[in-house]
Amino acid sequence: MITQQNFWQHNKAVLMFALVALTMPLWFPLIGGYSGLDTKIMIFCIFVVGFDILLGFTGYLSFGHAAFFGISAYTTGIMLKNFSDNIIPAIIVAVAAATLVALIIGLLTLKRTGIYFSILTLAFAEMFDSMAMSMLQKWTGGENGLTGMPTPMLFDLKMQGDTVFYFCALMAILLYYLAKRIERSPVGLMMKAIKCNQTRLEYTGINARKYKLLAFVLSAMYAAVAGSLMVVYEPFVGHEFLGWHQSGEIVIMSVIGGVGTLVGPMLGAGFMLYFENVLSVSLGEQWLLVLGVIFMVVVIFMPGGFMEAVARLKKRFFTTIDGE
Amino acid sequence: MDMTLNAFTLSLLTGLQLGSIYVLIALGLTLIFGTLGVVNFAHGALYLIAIYLAVSINNALGFGLALILVPPILFVIGILLERGLIQRFYNRPHTDQILVTFGLAIVLQELLKWIFGANNIPFAIPSWGNGIIMLHDYLPFLEGFVVYPKWRLILVVVSIVTVAAVFALLHLTRFGLVIRAGMRDAEMLQFMGVNINRRFMIVFGLGAMIAGIAGVFGGPVTQVSPEVGMQLLVPSFLIVVIGGMGSLGGAVLAGILIGMAQSFTAPYIYINTIIIYLITVIILLVRPRGLLGAKGVFE
Amino acid sequence: MTDVKSEKTNHTAAGWSRRDVLKATSVGAVSAATPMFFTQNAWAEEAIGNYPVKGSEVVLGFNVPQTGAYADEGADELRAYKLAVKHLNNGGGMLDTLKPSKLTGNGILGKKVTYVTGDTQTNADASRTSARRMIERDKVIMVTGGSSSGIAIAQQYLCNELGIIFMCGLTHSNDTTGKDKQRYGFRHFFNAHMTGKALSPVLSNEYGKDRRAFHLTADYSWGHTQQESMQEFTEKEGWSTEGNIMTPLKTTDFSQYLSQVLNSDADVLILNHYGANMVNSLTNAVNFGMRDMQKNGKNLEVVVPLYSRLMAKGAGSANIDGVLGTSGWNWALEDEGSKVFVKAFSDEYGFPPSQAAHTCYVQTLLYANACEMAGTFYPPEVIKALEDFEFTGAGNGPTLYRGSDHQCIKDILVMQGKSPSARTSDFDYLQIVDQVAAKTVDYDPAIFGGELGPYVPA
Repeated sequence: MITQQNFWQHNKAVLMFALVALTMPLWFPLIGGYSGLDTKIMIFCIFVVGFDILLGFTGYLSFGHAAFFGISAYTTGIMLKNFSDNIIPAIIVAVAAATLVALIIGLLTLKRTGIYFSILTLAFAEMFDSMAMSMLQKWTGGENGLTGMPTPMLFDLKMQGDTVFYFCALMAILLYYLAKRIERSPVGLMMKAIKCNQTRLEYTGINARKYKLLAFVLSAMYAAVAGSLMVVYEPFVGHEFLGWHQSGEIVIMSVIGGVGTLVGPMLGAGFMLYFENVLSVSLGEQWLLVLGVIFMVVVIFMPGGFMEAVARLKKRFFTTIDGE
Repeated sequence: MDMTLNAFTLSLLTGLQLGSIYVLIALGLTLIFGTLGVVNFAHGALYLIAIYLAVSINNALGFGLALILVPPILFVIGILLERGLIQRFYNRPHTDQILVTFGLAIVLQELLKWIFGANNIPFAIPSWGNGIIMLHDYLPFLEGFVVYPKWRLILVVVSIVTVAAVFALLHLTRFGLVIRAGMRDAEMLQFMGVNINRRFMIVFGLGAMIAGIAGVFGGPVTQVSPEVGMQLLVPSFLIVVIGGMGSLGGAVLAGILIGMAQSFTAPYIYINTIIIYLITVIILLVRPRGLLGAKGVFE
Repeated sequence: MTDVKSEKTNHTAAGWSRRDVLKATSVGAVSAATPMFFTQNAWAEEAIGNYPVKGSEVVLGFNVPQTGAYADEGADELRAYKLAVKHLNNGGGMLDTLKPSKLTGNGILGKKVTYVTGDTQTNADASRTSARRMIERDKVIMVTGGSSSGIAIAQQYLCNELGIIFMCGLTHSNDTTGKDKQRYGFRHFFNAHMTGKALSPVLSNEYGKDRRAFHLTADYSWGHTQQESMQEFTEKEGWSTEGNIMTPLKTTDFSQYLSQVLNSDADVLILNHYGANMVNSLTNAVNFGMRDMQKNGKNLEVVVPLYSRLMAKGAGSANIDGVLGTSGWNWALEDEGSKVFVKAFSDEYGFPPSQAAHTCYVQTLLYANACEMAGTFYPPEVIKALEDFEFTGAGNGPTLYRGSDHQCIKDILVMQGKSPSARTSDFDYLQIVDQVAAKTVDYDPAIFGGELGPYVPA
């Protein structure tokens, strides 16, 4: 039996996120944001929440998640261009395609751990990037990117401006809620057990590989939804979507925010995109240098990212009260 | 395959010299990993510092001084880096090491860009190493006229000498013995009263110094712009992993393998562009610890 | 009349709904002396992009690479843009030489010109996000900049969707005004096709008609178009093509490809590379002795179809000495427009401008002039003013902004690398061999396909 109060308690984080996300068009411009950027932040929130299911829960660091993001984006673009301007079939086919690829790559790479896993995923993603740039450029548009899609439609609704923002925000809230549910479920516990001690888990007769694969594929599906939404948001696909910079950016977002907290990586995504597109302007040509320094400081002094800082502040605040 | 002996020889040499530059960079990377257990994503940036120093000194004071000065400067930079940053990460997860060194790589790259600009700085080959060698004069089986740049053959020789020196250091000296013991069991050495920390510091300096040597001889080949570090990092890293993390012999083998693969696939763009990743994937799936990796390391 | 007009351009954010227009029209019909003229303009001028422009200032968006490999080129573009803004607001520079010109030196349409900047990072996605910031937050009326074709095309599509005019910076691919051309995109810079047309006769003149070329080509859209054009036009001169190898864009060491060239019968090496690719492939070719070698009884020659000062500097004058290629413009040009621009730029920054700076400066002025000619910022009218606009006094001789594909047809420079001893300054790497007339490099826009699309975006 879930009482109303329990529901609030259980879903506090999701409701808070929903409030922040849905009111974004109101408060974001006050700090220099703009409507294209808030949509992109929502999309990357989806990407990093999914990434946290893999990195945060199971501890597997993928350097190749751009592959699923990019494959899904290209598929969406090709669907919109050649099949129908309705986004629903495009998103479904794109996510299905990326999931299939993730299943294959997951089966191959998850036999390995640690740095070998990271490098394998990197190699796969770079391979796709090189292929999109070269042998597949007839379909992907190569360096020039995939262009010439019609305005994406949700049945009769044009996906532009506020419409596309609220669509992405609702998807982000829904997928964050799902991630929370997964975290609390027995499956989520199994995934977290993999991070703690995989060998011990296997001694108990549990098939860890099954859960690793599930986490990997789930996170790839999140990446795929994000990749597909990128094309709904802007009918364009650049090969950069597949590149290792994109994978690296997701890792940086997650780390700056706080790996394993779900909400932390979303904070990280918001911060990174805000920094890259708003604060960078006042920093001029050296913005990347400043970002590099911030990133290093976080890794050195605050391995738990922003969430660790929040927790420390909280602790300090509450201990003072206790002291009184 | 329809290939003349001339073409085969040229491709072979090209593979060897492409491999040489990879080996020089991968060598420091794998030495640092094997000894300190640190995954150093900033190694490409160390090479970057080396080529900027080398080209600056070369243009102002000549190549000789660049050769004398750059490796020791890199040694000192390596030691400062180890003391100031890397040693804090010995007991942190590899993920954190990757992240902090990756951040460092961005910072160093952007700093150098700030100082020197984004455009390439031409690094001329010193006159004694300039020009081409008439291979047909030395190799009688070649038909007609076959040439190769002298500097690139020098680079191969430098690479071989450096590899040999590192092997000798590790296997023929007492310092090397302690280092190799430290790689196996650092705690035990501490108990025996060996100051392993100081030796680790020196190893990191050595790794940086090899990047310095690579920079002096590789600079005229890779040229000097801020992107070079990152461009070399990914292949070098793949080579370390293919060879087996921490295995010097593996790095050499993998470097030459990748160089050869890139050279022989040059006419076929579709394969050429993905060959390095394809090899990585196949080797790691078939032989998880890499070509010559020790069992149990990072598996 | 003028009062009504300025009120129109100052109209509030709500823009012009049809009812507003009807109201204004009826008021106009009663009160204005020339109702026909007014109504004709008014019915069309609904809100498009950031039109109408509010307030007393108009904002331009300069989106250039500030990080990544083209950062130096981007920095020079930004210098040119700032200079253009200065001249638009205060007069000077090419305002004195551009003909015909309605520029007053008092801003655009009486509004003071301001600007915002952004970093394309030479990344298509980043460049679009940056352009969006300018358009959605900073309310720019026009976006311009960029230093590579992929980035230009990506932004051109975005701007076209959003109803913002995009004035391309440095982009040389045939696609920009070919299959990817857009109603809202304009290119002043020349393209690969024109390079092939201009360069090939000079090559056959210098090196003879009986030559065998080997191409190394960067494996992306620009490289492909450059290679096709060079092959087409050198073969028209009687050359044969021995081979072409596509090189991955990420290549830094070209020795594996050069080995293939050495092993062929080719006696000319054509490097369809740009930026760092070109610096490396040319330097590597020199290392391989290819500039001191004989093949088929002739000197082996190296050709770099597209030259820029930064690339020449990056490769070093010893390596480019005598190498032929093309440029859009050079500061050594002696025409009035070039002279005033070089002077103004040098006075401001202490060194002469690059071709990227030139094209960006001219693009800004041409846009401003088109607004003045149209008498409004309303994009469809501005576009019509730019289309088939013929002008002189901006360097490159008489120039046509062709309406059918938004490509400028103008003189192209064939350039040759200077020897280290002939150089007079750190900015003097290339000398002009030939100024190929616009009519020689002109071509039928239909050969590249593509469609400009409607004046009012969907």
